[in-house]
Amino acid sequence: MLNPLRSEQEAFRFLLYVIVVAAVVLGIVFAARALT
Amino acid sequence: MESASIAAGHSDHDDHHGPPAANVSSRVEAQFLGMLLFIISEVMLFGAFFTAYFFIRVVAGSGWFPIDDVDLPKAIAGVNTAILISSSFTMHWALEGARNENRNALRVGLLTTALLGLSFLTIQINEYVHIGFAPSDNAQGTIFYSLTGLHGAHVFVGLTLLTFATVRAFRGHFTAKEHRGVEVPGIYWHFVDVMWIVVYSSVYLL
Repeated sequence: MLNPLRSEQEAFRFLLYVIVVAAVVLGIVFAARALT
Repeated sequence: MESASIAAGHSDHDDHHGPPAANVSSRVEAQFLGMLLFIISEVMLFGAFFTAYFFIRVVAGSGWFPIDDVDLPKAIAGVNTAILISSSFTMHWALEGARNENRNALRVGLLTTALLGLSFLTIQINEYVHIGFAPSDNAQGTIFYSLTGLHGAHVFVGLTLLTFATVRAFRGHFTAKEHRGVEVPGIYWHFVDVMWIVVYSSVYLL
């Protein structure tokens, strides 16, 4: 299981996941705003 | 008998096979526990500020920028976000250099990370100077300066840690096996980056 506190490598991978999740959330919100 | 084995454990860690020393947990490494508690306290600190932000914006329904034709500089902050994310990549590159005994990658990676972090702070201060509202103007201004300022303070702390690590790297410290002095600032730097992505997404974009 990913643990960002265990090593820098895992923290970096966690950061990449956060970037992807933030991009998806922003995409959904902007799409919803455009449609409503 | 047990006390003798504990005493032996204190004097020679490598050959110790008995129960852990009285003051050491057998389940959680001390450094890991310290980092865990620190990050939890940081998440709670940011959580308190985000609670104020969401209260002003959602619960109180006070609205958000633009206010009186003054908007947040999204594009400049976007460039700043790219700079900070880039600095996490150079930080990772520096750590890979340390793991592979590549001293040049370690030194250049750390130095580049520090310079990118410094650029981020400089741009943020410049943003404050030209943004067109003060923290005392309204609740929105207060929480904007509070959240971005709290994050900026963390960048400053990260830069201080990075400066120490960079100076040590140029003095020949750190090996493939012993590089905790870079590893811990690296974890912290990525945490600061993660927090900025949350701050930028919620404060500037949403």
